[in-house]
Amino acid sequence: MTALLEVTDLCVDYSGLRAVDGLSISLAHGTIMGLIGPNGAGKTTTIDALCGFVPQVRGSILLDGHPIDSLPPHMRARAGLVRTFQSIELFVDLSVEENLLVATSTSRWWSPFVDAVAPRRHVHRDDVNLALDTVGLRSLATARPSDLSHGQRRLVGVARALASRPKLVLLDEPAAGLDPAETASLGQMLRNLPELGIAVLLVDHDMSLVLDVCDRLTVVDFGQVIASGVPMDVREDPSVISAYLGGGS
Amino acid sequence: MAHYLQLSLTGLGAGAVVAVLAIGLVLTFRASNVVNLAHAAMGTYIAYVYYGLRNFNVASTQKGGNLVLPVFGVPGVVHLIDRPTVVTALAIALVVAALVGALVYLLVFRALRNAPPLARLVASLGLFLYLQAVMELRAHDIGAGAATLPLTSLLPNGVVRLGSVVVPTASFVLAGLAVTVAVVLGAVFRYTRFGLSTRAAAESEKGAILIGVSPDRVGLLNWIIASVLAGGAMIFVAGITSQLNPTQSSLLVVPALAAALLARLDSFAMATFAGLAIGVTQSGVATFQSQAAWLPSWLPNDGLRQALPVLLILVAITIRGAHLPTRASLVDSRLPVAPVPRRPWLWIPLLSGAAVVALYTLDAQWRLAIVVSVIAALIALSCVVVTGYVGQISLALYAFAGLAAFATAKLELAGVGFPWAPLVAVILTVVVGILFGLPAVRVRGMTLAVATIAAAVAIEQLVFNSPALNGLSGVPNPQLFGSNLGFLAPGAANFRPAFGVVAVVVLAASMLAVANLRRSPTGLRWLAVRSNERAAAAAGINVGSTKLSAFAASSLFAGLGGALLAYELPALSPQQFLVVGALAVLALTYLGGIATLSGALIAGFLASGGVLTRIQGGAAADTTTQYALSGILLILVAAFYPDGLSMAVRRAITRLHSVWLRGVRSRGAT
Repeated sequence: MTALLEVTDLCVDYSGLRAVDGLSISLAHGTIMGLIGPNGAGKTTTIDALCGFVPQVRGSILLDGHPIDSLPPHMRARAGLVRTFQSIELFVDLSVEENLLVATSTSRWWSPFVDAVAPRRHVHRDDVNLALDTVGLRSLATARPSDLSHGQRRLVGVARALASRPKLVLLDEPAAGLDPAETASLGQMLRNLPELGIAVLLVDHDMSLVLDVCDRLTVVDFGQVIASGVPMDVREDPSVISAYLGGGS
Repeated sequence: MAHYLQLSLTGLGAGAVVAVLAIGLVLTFRASNVVNLAHAAMGTYIAYVYYGLRNFNVASTQKGGNLVLPVFGVPGVVHLIDRPTVVTALAIALVVAALVGALVYLLVFRALRNAPPLARLVASLGLFLYLQAVMELRAHDIGAGAATLPLTSLLPNGVVRLGSVVVPTASFVLAGLAVTVAVVLGAVFRYTRFGLSTRAAAESEKGAILIGVSPDRVGLLNWIIASVLAGGAMIFVAGITSQLNPTQSSLLVVPALAAALLARLDSFAMATFAGLAIGVTQSGVATFQSQAAWLPSWLPNDGLRQALPVLLILVAITIRGAHLPTRASLVDSRLPVAPVPRRPWLWIPLLSGAAVVALYTLDAQWRLAIVVSVIAALIALSCVVVTGYVGQISLALYAFAGLAAFATAKLELAGVGFPWAPLVAVILTVVVGILFGLPAVRVRGMTLAVATIAAAVAIEQLVFNSPALNGLSGVPNPQLFGSNLGFLAPGAANFRPAFGVVAVVVLAASMLAVANLRRSPTGLRWLAVRSNERAAAAAGINVGSTKLSAFAASSLFAGLGGALLAYELPALSPQQFLVVGALAVLALTYLGGIATLSGALIAGFLASGGVLTRIQGGAAADTTTQYALSGILLILVAAFYPDGLSMAVRRAITRLHSVWLRGVRSRGAT
């Protein structure tokens, strides 16, 4: 069986700086992989590159065996690869529910004409409700993002990613700014995703969360993979310890 | 070839003026993130001051020395000194320029420091409209009836010979001045504490305050310098072109904006280079057009010169843009709230019914006013869709309406019958609208706003000014199933209500369509793109095609408005569709509420010649004063009610409603 995500030799250049340098990842169906590393290691850039948000990307990206590296971001999302943002980035003009609905809507070039005369109904309400239930925010469906707490907003961001029933969701620091209780329930929620057929690539600095929920860990530093494997092994890896604690190798 | 070289070098003078204006635009943007559309208008006012002071004739008793004041309600001019010399007049004018810059910053843009970009743009629009209106009035005060002043060149009259090429010395002097200004400012910004403070304050106001820089002082100084530069530039340009005109001179801001954008609103050197290049290219292109006999005869005389350089820059900026904003770029795209229309199926038919009743009961002047308002509301609706719902600031909408009007008239006069002529014209407009929407796929925010002004200027210069379109009249009345739906009729029957009904039906149908769109999946996508392009792309939304769908819908409504205009106006002329009109459309729609249906209606109500004008007593009302007042109103709304008048009313109603409910409840409780 092919891997869900197969990244080979990914490189990203930011005007002279190589932010990601020959990164390779293989992620199996139904797994949660943690992508960790010190600040500036290239984690967010990796997510940006996988989702098509940065130019000058080299290397190959296969999703479920299909190459996606020439697709624009929205096509990658429709192919089943979705992400959240470190800075959340909700649609502030839309309610919580609408934030999710818009992620599930489909559109053809003639859709505006249809909508002008007889507005289409939102067909994926079930998916939206399921996603809201998953993060436990069903009761806030009609609220505005500006009325929510920071933690709730983060969860809406995660729910929006889940609403389109993706194959793989890339979470960029979902626990940043959450209190311990919120983090614990986030962890609980993440562990349930593989059952829904959703694999996860998790970037976070909260080590207890990462060690708790991830099946595998990949550690990056200076844009390169320095270790990967099951959490227990990676924790003991000397190069990982030195990358985190600094000092000579 | 030598001939081209000569004319191109002559263009250096005009180019230098564009360059200095562009430098000023870069300066105010770096200091307070304002793309000041009124930059050249401020300079034009200073030129008025200068020429007002120098407005005397040695032989006559006229003494000159009058200071032109830019304020309403006070005397237009104040006599300062008799027959000032060039140096004295220049010194006074530049001091006034410094004061104007300071006032504009303190009264307008300081308050808007943290306002959304659209509010700042609209405030500069308000300033533009205000200054223009003041200058129109003051031109009368100084005694030059047609808003033109006697101009005497400040510059040397000699020529420089380079082989067989002869170039006026003035061109080189001006170019030298522009380069000097750029070099000095560049050095000041790089090496002095003032420059460093400006850059710091622009990057982070909070941070600047923490390290002891006063953003107010820095902003003030930059605005003063920019204003003085603009004043100087406009005094010189009036000198070399012997032309000073409130509108045309103020619109010199368009090529200057193009140059400033090419410099990413950041580099003085690049702005100067681009400005000079625009001048030189314009000169060269003008020569080319005058000599190339194979160019079609419908092309306006001055068309290529005005349009080509700006269009080239538009293309360059578009190519340089990116499909999505980068992670690093902080995109501040806060826009007025865009509520889902409440019960549109109730109030839109009701209002339409009331309008139809009014059309059949009121007199001809009222019928005209209603139709003017209805058509203006339709064009404002196109602004609501593209700017209000999708956040793409477009200043080309009025040009699209004009395009549809001219196309309808042309087709009708060529014998194409009623439903078909406007239909083809509207389809053509939508195609053009999508074409001019293409830059929006790659550029955003202010850059897009400027790109659309450039597009509007190009349409105006290349199409509207064409001799083939001048004074189209005699468009036959529309007929459908044997009934006359026309507007114009001889005598007291003029302004026929039947046409008014057609216009009301078109507006009502368009508003219902927009109400449908707002609550449909398409509307959600529009608002998602407006909120956050990166997140929209991550949510599987094709950002580019979503924007284009909005441009298509918007040009459809503008096109419908334009097609109606073709039947409404007795004759079409390019003057009816100037770029300034486009600025007024955005201004009025913003006043009404740019993201609401009722905002479009309010814009129609306020439109010049519309229902409000009629209530005030018709044409007797002074339109210039009205422009000036709407300019001030615009600045106030941008500062205090950025959601527009319709939302202010809606909030007031909601508040009254809740007060009333509380009253009911408390009475029930006792």
